[in-house]
Amino acid sequence: MGFFSKLFRGPEIDMEKSSANAQKMRRLFNQVVENGDRYKLICGYTEDVSRFNYGFVHGSKTKIGNLIVGWNEAEEVIVVVPTVPDLSGCGDPAWYRRSEILKAYRNKYPTDAFVICPDRKGYLAINAYDWLEDEKLYVYVSQEQELADFTAFFTERFAKK
Amino acid sequence: MWFYELGAILLVLIAVTIVGNLWFHTVESLLERFKGLFSRRKAPPAWHELEQEQEERDNDRH
Repeated sequence: MGFFSKLFRGPEIDMEKSSANAQKMRRLFNQVVENGDRYKLICGYTEDVSRFNYGFVHGSKTKIGNLIVGWNEAEEVIVVVPTVPDLSGCGDPAWYRRSEILKAYRNKYPTDAFVICPDRKGYLAINAYDWLEDEKLYVYVSQEQELADFTAFFTERFAKK
Repeated sequence: MWFYELGAILLVLIAVTIVGNLWFHTVESLLERFKGLFSRRKAPPAWHELEQEQEERDNDRH
């Protein structure tokens, strides 16, 4: 009985590991972003899919870039910091102010992503998640509430046509 | 007889997979080289290590 109930319950989240990573995320973000505490945080990832329009092995090689996404509701700003799954370091932050970007929208197909186009040339698609088990590819963090908050902020306050 | 046909189909599938993989990696490497031509002069992207981890690593060295 115990075995089957465990089997059907699916994977369980290690909350200790998750909260340790959430703290690391915060430290890393505050390290590179001034007044980092003014931003709420969520982890996401982005996929470089532009190159998969050829060849037989369509989609067999996906590049994943992990992102720490911070947002400030009052200032309508999103800050994106590239990182790695073990959160040992991060790159330089990129700021997206609603007043300065070209457009932002939520994409449903092919994947559920939050797309920001700072100008006509480039775009950033952020795939946000509540929890992903594969910690070799993604940051191991449980963030159901943060995902709901970010989705609400992006769709209601930040989206721009 | 069907045994040989099955084997032949399997061989064809293996060949398609191998050729597909070779094609993919050939195009990938060509693309990388082509991109490299344009990004030679670019400065490498900045990377900041998590401060505490860096401190721990420094302590281990001493």
